[in-house]
Order: sequence, then C-alpha cells, then structure tokens
Amino acid sequence: MKRRLGLLLWLVAATAVFADDGKLSEVLARLRQSGQASFQYMETRELELAASPWQAQGIMLTDAAGTLVKLQLQPSRVIMAISGDNLYYWDAAQNRRHSMPIGYADQAAEQILVFRGILRGRPDELQAGYELAAEFQGQGWSLHMLPKPGENAPAIDISGDADPDKRRISIRQADGETTEYRIEKADPQQAAAYTIPQLLQEAGGE
Amino acid sequence: MSFVWRKRWFLLLFPLLLAATIWQIRVESDLNAFFTNTDDADSKLLSGLLQSGELSRRYLLVVEAAAPGQTDAAGVAAFSGKLVQRLGKLADVEQVWPASQPPRDWLNAVQFYAPYHARIFSLNPAQDAEAIFAIDSLPQRAEGLKQVLLSPQGGFIKAIAKQDPLLLSLNGFKNLQNQFQPGRGDGGALILQSRPAALDSAAQEQLQTAIRANFDDLNQAAGQAFRLSMAGVPVFSTAAHAEISRDVTLVSTVSSISVVLVFLVLFRSFAALHWIMLLQAAAFVIGTLATTLIFQQIHSLTLALGASLIGICVDYPLHVMVHSAKHRSSPLANVRLLGPSLFLGGLTTVIGYAAMGFSGFPGFEQIAVFALFSISASLGLTRWVLPALLDKTDLRVAHLPGIGCWVDFCGRRRKLLASLIGVAGLLALLALPNLRWMDDMQNLAMNMDELKQQDQAVRAHFSSIEPGRFVLIQADNFEIALQRSEAAERRLQALKQAGVLGDYHGLFPWLISQSLQTENARVYDAALTRPFQDAWFAAVEQAGLSTEKLAHLQPAETSDLLPETVLNTPVRHILSGQLLQTQQGVALSIWLGDHDPARLIAGLQGLEGTRYFSQKAQLNQLASQYRDRSLRMLAIGIAAMGVLIWLQQRSFRKTLLTLLPSLAAVLFIFASWALLGEELSFLHVIGLLLSVSLCVDYGIFFMENRGSDSGVTYNAIAASTLTTLASFGALGLGKTPTLPILAMSVSLGVTLGFLLCPLLIPKTSPA
Repeated sequence: MKRRLGLLLWLVAATAVFADDGKLSEVLARLRQSGQASFQYMETRELELAASPWQAQGIMLTDAAGTLVKLQLQPSRVIMAISGDNLYYWDAAQNRRHSMPIGYADQAAEQILVFRGILRGRPDELQAGYELAAEFQGQGWSLHMLPKPGENAPAIDISGDADPDKRRISIRQADGETTEYRIEKADPQQAAAYTIPQLLQEAGGE
Repeated sequence: MSFVWRKRWFLLLFPLLLAATIWQIRVESDLNAFFTNTDDADSKLLSGLLQSGELSRRYLLVVEAAAPGQTDAAGVAAFSGKLVQRLGKLADVEQVWPASQPPRDWLNAVQFYAPYHARIFSLNPAQDAEAIFAIDSLPQRAEGLKQVLLSPQGGFIKAIAKQDPLLLSLNGFKNLQNQFQPGRGDGGALILQSRPAALDSAAQEQLQTAIRANFDDLNQAAGQAFRLSMAGVPVFSTAAHAEISRDVTLVSTVSSISVVLVFLVLFRSFAALHWIMLLQAAAFVIGTLATTLIFQQIHSLTLALGASLIGICVDYPLHVMVHSAKHRSSPLANVRLLGPSLFLGGLTTVIGYAAMGFSGFPGFEQIAVFALFSISASLGLTRWVLPALLDKTDLRVAHLPGIGCWVDFCGRRRKLLASLIGVAGLLALLALPNLRWMDDMQNLAMNMDELKQQDQAVRAHFSSIEPGRFVLIQADNFEIALQRSEAAERRLQALKQAGVLGDYHGLFPWLISQSLQTENARVYDAALTRPFQDAWFAAVEQAGLSTEKLAHLQPAETSDLLPETVLNTPVRHILSGQLLQTQQGVALSIWLGDHDPARLIAGLQGLEGTRYFSQKAQLNQLASQYRDRSLRMLAIGIAAMGVLIWLQQRSFRKTLLTLLPSLAAVLFIFASWALLGEELSFLHVIGLLLSVSLCVDYGIFFMENRGSDSGVTYNAIAASTLTTLASFGALGLGKTPTLPILAMSVSLGVTLGFLLCPLLIPKTSPA
C-alpha cells in the first residue's frame, strides 16, 4: 500500500515538473530570436537616492555578435553599450565617458549582461546563475528569474501578451532599486536611423 | 703525527666538511646585494628600493597586433581581457589587471574615505574653499550627482554619496582618475603582480613560462594575430640570474680545467694531480663554509671569483713540488725550507684581499673572507698534509723553455735594462695625469641592451612615471613625514603648472597628515553656513534627488583618519614602493613623471627633510666612493705588505726590491690604460691590488731564494704565474663586466710582475 502511494506521489510530482518545464520551454521559445534587432524602450528607475521614479526613453540595438547598444534619447542623449568584452558609456551632456572590461565593471554591468541575454532571446544562457519559472495567464505569459543562492544578481521578471513584439522587463537589484523597461520592436524607419558601428564609435570617442 | 694518520684524518674530515658545506650553503644571485648593499643610509635605501616588495614583483605585459593592421584596438582589448582571466587563475599570480583600470579593490578602497570627506578634500583647503563651496555651483553638482547615479558607476557612487553627498572625498582622487585614464595606456597593457619574490628566480622562470604558455594557447586560437612583450624587475632578475649562473659554471669549469692542464703539463703525474686537487677542493670548501657561516649566504659571484683563487692557492704546493722535483728531495724537507717564504707570500696575498674587502664594495667583503679562509687552509694543508699525501709520489717537473734564458739575459744586461725601465717609468709617470675614470656605474652592469630596449618599449605603453628618480621625504615620525610630503606636493603642483614636471604620484589623499585633516575640517565647518546648507537642499530637491538622504550636510568628523587604519586596507598595495623602510624614522617617496632635474631640485629648495633622489646618481656616487677607497686601499695594502716584508727581511733595500716588480707593473699598466684611453673603475684598481699581492709573492720567493737556485725558484714562480693566469684568465669569459675587468687587471699585473722579477731583483744568496 505504502509502495503504491509512494509511486502515485512520484507520478504527480513528475507530471508537475514536466508540465512546468513545458511552460518554460514555450516561454523561452517565444523569447528566442537571432540576428540583428532594434527596439524602442521606455525605462522607469526607482533609485534609493532619488525622490521620485526617473524615466527615460530611447532605442536599443543588438546584433548577432552579441553587441548591445542602448541609446537614451530622452531626457538627454546617453549611450551605454557592450561590445565584445567591453562596456562603453558616453554622457554627452555631462561630458562623461567610460570604457572598461565587463568583468571589471560593477553590478550595472551585470545587469546589462543579463539584459543582453534577454534581448537576444537567450535567457537560457543565464540558467547557470538563475532559477527560471514560467507562468501563463490567459493571453499573458511571464518568466521569473530568481538568482540562485549566493549569486549577487538582480531578480528579473519578463512578461508579455499576445503581441510578440512587446515585452515588459522588470529588474530588482539586491539593494531594492528597480528598473522597468517596456520595449517593443522599433519601426523600420526608426531602426534605420541608427547603426551599431556609428553609435559604438560615438561612445568610444573615436 | 705520522704521515699515515695525517692522510687518514684528511680523508675523513674532507667529506665531513663537504657535507657540512652542502647543508649550510645558501647561494645568493642578487646582483644588487653584490653591488649596492652597503652600510651607507642612502645605499641601504637604494638597495631596499631595488628589492622592495610589491613593486619588484610586478610584470608589465603588452599585447599587440603581431603585424600592423592584423587586428584593431578592440581586438587587442578583447584578447587582453581573455588573457587577464587566464593569467588570474595561475597559482603564482596574486593579481592581474589592465593598466588603464586599477584593480577593482583599489577603486573600492576610495569608498573607505567617504566618512572622512570633510577632513581630506583638499591639499590647500583655505585656497580651494572658494571654488569647492561655491553656492552657484550647487545645482550643477546635484544634477551631476544624479547623472552619475544613473550611470554604470551608480552603485559605486551611491555608497559614497550616502555619507558624502557633495562627493568631497573624491576631490583629491581626481589625479588617480587621470592616472588610469583609458587610452593613456592601451587595451593591451597589463600589470601582473606575482606571489613569489622577484629574486626567487626558479619560481619567476616558471611563472614566465606559464604566462607565455597561456598567451600562446590563446594566440593559437586567435590565428597568431598577437604578440606579447614582458618587462619588470622579475624579467631582469631572472635574466641576470641565468647569466650569472652561466658565468659561474663557465668560469669555475674553465678555471679548474685550465689549472689541471697546466699542472699536468708541468708535472705529468695524475697521482700528484688528484692529491693537489683534493687539497684545493678542501681549501675551496673551507672558504665556502666560512663565508656562508659569517654572511648567512654566499653570492654566486663570490663562488666565481673564489674559483679563480684555486690558481693562487695551488701556488703553495706547487712551489714545494717544483723544488722537490728539481732537487730530488722530499716534500717535507722542502715544506720546511720554503715555509717562511710561503707564509709571507700567503700573508701578503691575504692583505691584498683584505684591502679589497675594505674598499667598501659589498661583494668584495665576502670575497676577502673567502680568500682569507681558502688561502689559510691551503697554506695549512700544504704545510701539514701535502708531505703526507706526496710521500710516495715520484715527482718530475717539465722544463719551461725560455725561463733560464730570460733569467740569464736579465743578469747580463741588468744595467741597460734597468736604465730602460727607469726611463719607461718616468714616461709612465708623465702619462698618469691622462687617466680617465668611469663616471657611470651602469657600465659595470651586465650588458642587457636587448632587454633594456624591450623594457623601454613596454614601458611606453604605461604611465610616464619614471622609475628610479623621485622626491624623497624623511622624518622622525609619520606625521612629520606626511606634513613634509604635503608641502612637497604643493611645490610639485606649482612645478607641474610651470611645465617643469609632467606628472607625479604623491601620497595625498591616500595618506593625510593630522595637521592637514584638522585644517580641512576647520575650513569645511566654516563653509557649512546656513545659506550654503539651504542652497544645497534646494539643489538636491531640484535635481529630483532624495532630500532626506542627501540634503543634510553633517559637520566634520572629529576623529582623525589614521595611517595605520588606511594601511590595513588595499591602499597599502597602491602605495607599495612609496613607503620606504629606513634605519631611522620614516621615508616616503613621490614618484615623478618626465621632469627637468635641475629646475625640480631648485623648486624643492628650502623644504626640510625633502630632496630629489636619483638612483643613477646614487649608483654613480657609490662608484666614485668605491674608486677613491680602492685607491686608498691599494696604497694601504702595498704599505702593509712592505711592513711585513721589512719585518722578515729587516732591510729597507730588500723590501723595496721585493716590492719593485709589482709596483713597476702597476705603474706601467696604469700608464698603458692612460695612453689607450681606457675608462677605469674601482674594479681595475682592485684588480691591480690583487696583482700586487700576487707579484709580491714572486718578489719574496725570488729575493729569499731559499732553494739557493734562482733557476729553480724562477721555474716555480713561472709555474705559479701560469696557474694564476689560467684561473684568472677564465674570468675573462664571464659576461658580468666585473669578471673580465678583474681578469684583465690581474693577468696584466701578474705577467708584467713575473717578467720584471729577474730584471729588477738581483740574484741573491739564500736568506
């Protein structure tokens, strides 16, 4: 009797696991993409030292080589990019420019690396540092990424609806600061206005 | 004691001595210990600098495209990034980082200063206060703070801003930011700090092999698109170690083989050879053991020069053997007959080496001790053991061609030859004012031109701070030293603005005197007026920042930031090489970029305990001191030998005649160098001092002529000269310039002294 009960419980648990794994695969499949892509984004950040949420908007571009350029257009022009193993930052208004190896940068770089994985549709690359869980509610879906114990990484929620070109990405740092991105595929005209090499050149100050 | 027991005791004790020596020996190959480690405070400082912990353990690595256009800057940076990750995993690597980016923990160390912002914000607080606390600038500063909080540096700045909203603590670190500006170095410039000491050649060689292997591995995957260059103290020290090891092996081997060959040509007896070599080995082992016990280590150059002593120590048994062979008498009888001459000869040689030891050159102190024990051992063994060892050996000696003819010729033409020598001596004296002295001690360093060129090429990729020239600040305690350092930095700021100085790395604000902290705190508290506080509050509010967390400025901390607290953080790595160990008090250094030494020295005038220090000038000053002392020692050594000879001969004329060949040889050699324009160093003088001490032996043997046969005595002297030339000539094969200079000086001196003996010393009856 006990053996049958044990077998039953195992079957229930295994079904639940496989069912969950199925959802995860489906969500990952929705996110997966390759090649060049351009997005427009709205960013809302809640900083510990800011009086109110701070908002910005701009364009993000990725390519097959894994380059990510985030061009903030509003409230001021700022470029943040990762190309190869380097991080570039250029704030024209403050005349502040940085470039450094990603491994050298602090948690901001960690966040942008995660972000690149998501934008390139490869969140599975992040599985080494994260527990992934997928969820569906009607037309909506979400992917919860919780850092594994001991990992000093932000918690991330990615969600979407029936529109495959729209995403909402929420990032919560260990210190409680949050960043929310609403992104959608940029229209071709807008995407054509910017190229990755040109923006990298501007960020690098060449 | 019977001959049998003497032989047994020798054969029993020698292996024991050898075992004790192997157990005790610690060979040092640091050239610095040989050249500069003297008791003089500045020399000690220099020596400490050359050996100073962290800096000496650093490698400078440069990754470049293997050929122009083969890859771009981004490619180099990406490749370097991978190399950094690979090298960071090596067990012997403490830390590796791109030159354009300080290690993360160094940058994080800046956060440690945030609570002390009010005490460290300026080197000239009263002067800078107007600009730093300008109310008009506050809105812009608040906006700047917000932007930096939103940038990739946000996390770093947030930790500082919560304690230091005006970011005053970063004010002094602006120079650090300039120091590490990307592009100043380049993506391929890396700094690697090794765990083993720079002078641990074996470990450093292994590490260099591992660095190259990792690079080659990555480069192969990258299609051989890159090349790697290395520089730094460990690169030089391993190269020097390899060269010195090569020198020691070569000199010892050639010297030993040459002496053996000379011996075999002269005596054609393997039986005699193996006993003599055993005696010399015992003398060498005794010298090595005594030197190791006295100095706790023995330098490899001491061993190299010690090997040449074989050629001198072998002289004592050689004289006995030549007389025994020529007169067909027993070695015991000849040891007794020649004993006083051998003892006096040994004593004058020891005096020569002792004088060399007193020249102030640290390496020669060891060699003098080595010589004292080796020569004493050789004399003792010749006196008591040699007769026992050669008791049953049939000794024959080859006739050296030309020896008898030269003695006879000198006897026949003495007056004419002596007159010629006298005229030559006068001419030689006239030539002496043309002697040229070497001013640059670098000429005595090992020739590493290729390595130096590579070093310069590598350093061009790094900051422009010059190694070896800095501002030195000394004081009795840390507080005074820091105050003096701050005064010097104020001057350097002005000199930098005047274009005298390109850049400098000081200690401010990493370490700040309590006096300056108090002054900063006073200025800060005075600036924190109600209107200023209100303006800052408004600026924070306007920038959309949290007024609760950032708008309330606190009065200055009352407790000082203490140096010992700072040095418990990674800051001690940053300041490595700037905090110097001295015998008395504290010494700090401020590193300098490109500068005009004369104007810089003038600019620092009047600052107490502060002076410009040039490693090269210090080395050259040392060389000049060594030269003066070695000349004094040459005179004192000759005088001491003269006194000893007089004590035995009790005749001023005989003493003078005994010394004459060696003195004439020295005069002629100096004159030849003057005419040839040879640049002379203290090593040339020391070499001549040694040759005098050896030639005086020939004078003693020739003058005393205890065998009553000038021909035999001169044959024995000829045999000695040959072994001395064989062993000292081998030094000429060394790449370390010290060795060829000594080889030339001693060989020339000994040859001339030998030739002049029968010319200047008339045949005498036995003493």
